[in-house]
Amino acid sequence: MSSFSFLDSGLGLTVVVFLPLISAIFIFLIPKKQEMLIKLITLGSAIVTFLVSLVVALQFDFNDAAELQLGTKVSWISSINSNYEIGIDGISLPLLLLSTFISVLAIIYSFEHLPEPKNAKGMMSLILILETGMNGTFVALDLILFFVFFELVLLPMYFMIGIWGDKTVRSVSGLKNDIETRLYASIKFFVFTLFGSAFMLLGFLGLYFRGNKTFSIPELIELGTNGAFTGTFATLVFAVLFLGFAVKVPMWPLHTWLPDAHTAAPTVGSVLLAAILLKLGSYGFVRIALPILPEQAVAWAPAIAILSAIGIIYGSLACLAQTDLKRLIAFSSVGHMGFVMLGISSLTSIGINAAMIGMVAHGIITGLLFFVSGSMAHTYHTRDMGRLGGNMKLLPKTGAILAFTAMASLGLPGLAGFWGEFMALLGAYNPLPGLNVTIFRSSMVAGAIGTVLTAGYLLWMLQRVNLGEPKEEWIDQELHDADNYELVAWIPLVILTVLIGVFPKLIFGATNDAVIALVAKAFGG
Amino acid sequence: MTIVTAISLDLLLPRKLKYIVALVSILGSLIAFVPIIFQYANYSSPEILFEGSYVIDKFSLILKGLFILVTYLTFLLSVNFVESDEYYQGEYYFLLLSSLLGALVVTSSRDLLTMFIGIELASTPMFLLSGWKKGDQKSNEGSIKFFLLGVLSASLILYGFSLLYGVTGKLVFSDIANTLIQSDLNQSPVTLLSAILILAGIGFKISIVPFHSWAPDTYEGAPLPVTAYLSVSSKATGFVALIILISKVFYDSGQGLGIILVFISGITMFVGNLSALQQTNPVRLLAYSSIAQAGFILAPMAVAGITSNYEDGVYASVTYLIIYAFMNIGAFLVINLLQRNIQSDDMYDWGGLAREMPLAGIFAVIFFFSLAGIPPLGGWFAKFVVFRSLLSTGEIFGLSLGIIGAINAVIALVYYSRISKIIWMDSPNENVKSNNDTLIPSPLRVVGFVSLILTIVSGIFPGIFSNLGEASSIFFNS
Repeated sequence: MSSFSFLDSGLGLTVVVFLPLISAIFIFLIPKKQEMLIKLITLGSAIVTFLVSLVVALQFDFNDAAELQLGTKVSWISSINSNYEIGIDGISLPLLLLSTFISVLAIIYSFEHLPEPKNAKGMMSLILILETGMNGTFVALDLILFFVFFELVLLPMYFMIGIWGDKTVRSVSGLKNDIETRLYASIKFFVFTLFGSAFMLLGFLGLYFRGNKTFSIPELIELGTNGAFTGTFATLVFAVLFLGFAVKVPMWPLHTWLPDAHTAAPTVGSVLLAAILLKLGSYGFVRIALPILPEQAVAWAPAIAILSAIGIIYGSLACLAQTDLKRLIAFSSVGHMGFVMLGISSLTSIGINAAMIGMVAHGIITGLLFFVSGSMAHTYHTRDMGRLGGNMKLLPKTGAILAFTAMASLGLPGLAGFWGEFMALLGAYNPLPGLNVTIFRSSMVAGAIGTVLTAGYLLWMLQRVNLGEPKEEWIDQELHDADNYELVAWIPLVILTVLIGVFPKLIFGATNDAVIALVAKAFGG
Repeated sequence: MTIVTAISLDLLLPRKLKYIVALVSILGSLIAFVPIIFQYANYSSPEILFEGSYVIDKFSLILKGLFILVTYLTFLLSVNFVESDEYYQGEYYFLLLSSLLGALVVTSSRDLLTMFIGIELASTPMFLLSGWKKGDQKSNEGSIKFFLLGVLSASLILYGFSLLYGVTGKLVFSDIANTLIQSDLNQSPVTLLSAILILAGIGFKISIVPFHSWAPDTYEGAPLPVTAYLSVSSKATGFVALIILISKVFYDSGQGLGIILVFISGITMFVGNLSALQQTNPVRLLAYSSIAQAGFILAPMAVAGITSNYEDGVYASVTYLIIYAFMNIGAFLVINLLQRNIQSDDMYDWGGLAREMPLAGIFAVIFFFSLAGIPPLGGWFAKFVVFRSLLSTGEIFGLSLGIIGAINAVIALVYYSRISKIIWMDSPNENVKSNNDTLIPSPLRVVGFVSLILTIVSGIFPGIFSNLGEASSIFFNS
């Protein structure tokens, strides 16, 4: 490990964050016609980024996972005392790896599967810019730096949905004219997220002025855990931070952009959105909102628990009403992120650990679900579950993976999805002492009902899509089963799902110490 | 010694170019940039001339640099525009240079007369320029409107100034302020009245509500480069005058003025943004957007009027002005480029244009989303420093204005994203000329890349503005 010591002082993380961006700029300069070259450079830079992040993970001292490591602090905007301060601990490491890994898979998948209008140059550079935003958010330790990366993901995702998205024309209540799904969904996504984050920025500024004029997250945590932020001020700041993060998660009732965005987005967009972008919100809660404003976190926890419980039930019920395959998976995200937030709201180490593994598992499983459903939509030219059926016979490979992923998604023990749900319920059963036990136990019951409903809609989905005899309209058609690019993108996720399911320590090994330290410091539990 | 030569160059060089055409003007404005840089590099302390009525400090040097650069970019924007329609080239450049001279004078003016002359010298040529498209009815209408309101605004400013002079008998700002304080008149109704008159007069120049109604018509009628200049340089001149007056004369006039400004600023944002939402004409859209942006630029000064934290306020307003200048010029460049392909007043005719003009498409994304304040483009830092100065004291007016600003940032996104949406996402228009990117004339390329680099660099390394903080503290304390 010592051979990589040159990556110590933040260099490794800096490469992980900025290599994709630099490659994107480089790609801008290559003529559009050199498509293969563009794809190879993109893939190469994403793989190098992933490898560097692996090296960083190897260097990471897991015995000291509660400490921020491998970072640096360089002056950035001196006039407002904002620094280029980065680093990782056990909480951010798994998410960073997830981000670099999923990006590689997304690029491999895009090699052969670009929806109209093809334009590989555009898509590849957008994926790379997006990756910089995602990686940056997970390593940033300065509120302003965090904000910039947090927002950096908006533009690429907006264009991904808007350019390559679903062109079906639909009517939207409140709009006079019918509008293409992609156009409506992309601006809705953008406006919702910006609405949350504009207020979040005001909150950051509030912390800055009350907290010795620093934007440094570790310093603010130090101040916050020593009770520097109290009273109405703290309530207001937590409210705006909540708004910023909850829109991104998304928590009920701020979730309405998600089904539209997911349904409209091209496959790669959906995958990255579900796998990484949603985590930026829940990560924000764990990294910023809870430790800096612990008193407020305790005050808000019951409300968050109730909203999460509603999200779980609402998401599952909405799924049962869907006829559109991708929309169903989108609503299932609302439910699954509800479990993550339920875990966080318990403010215990079990609950937050559950949230951490829940985030990673949801990233892998739902990412895979969107890959598979996107491919199916491409093959069948429809996402209407009423028309699909007998998928197992028509596309055996795709069907098998869909069945496996659905099982993982419904929380089958032994697969990755199980731990997040199970432990979140456990956390809610026994929340931080002092929290209203009745509310949390009711939320737990709601969550438990949610798991049953989840199993219900996923199995029902499988029954409608995968099983039975193929409909007549498909019988004589030549349908292509998963090709090699797809399998290369999918199989690693299948393997990871099993690995994390069997050895959850892969995640807990990193997160546990950090989470325990966080809870001890902020809530004395 | 350098300083003296620099001033003479500063003031005289543009005049000498009176009868020489485009090329010389462009070179001239570039050459004028040189002494500014030298002077800035050798800067030690503020240079006070003419018994305190003309001051050269870091603050004024930075702004002079801004004005010269903006004029330079406007020239480049104009080259093809003016040639293509056989306008009167010599006069065109002369008038723009005169306006520049006025702006340069305003940045250093520290007495009533100098400032008035500067303001009028900056705006009078614009009356002519805005009506440059003589055959065009809209151009004439806009120009007449602009002229009438401009004269009205000049008389309001003059009336306000004369009140100040009548009360104190002094011309230089610092004397006026001292006399007002000594004779306990600083919070009297007369002072407030003169402040309101001046605010109304300058309000026309910076197009804040309720003095904004001329802007959309004039912007629409004027030649595009002139519109760009109007919305950037003219507006900045007005703001600089306002900033100097508020922080040098009215800094101790009580909270009344500040509260008025807070309301104006909030209403300006809403009116500008909500009107911009409904526009289909790209120039009118930018006109309303520039009204809304004026609300943002005004906000820190307004709150500074209440909290008396002028240093922060000046820093925020000027930073915003500088970043806004480049992204807005870029936005006008985009309109110009797209109109070269499809001449239309309706931006919905530009569907799918970016596929044929990817460079213009990328410019559109960068400049319009920068205006919307999306990181990592420059606009985010402009908005950020404004929010920062609004919240700095945690005082209720600042807080409310911050919330209003946040809401408006979201509204603005809807229309700023529209052009990018149309040219990148909509189905292609049949009249699109193909492969138009290679035909972009090189002056326009220069404008595009200069603005692009400034916009992106100021977003990623906002540290470059730290000098400005120092400059505004020198400005305020000298």
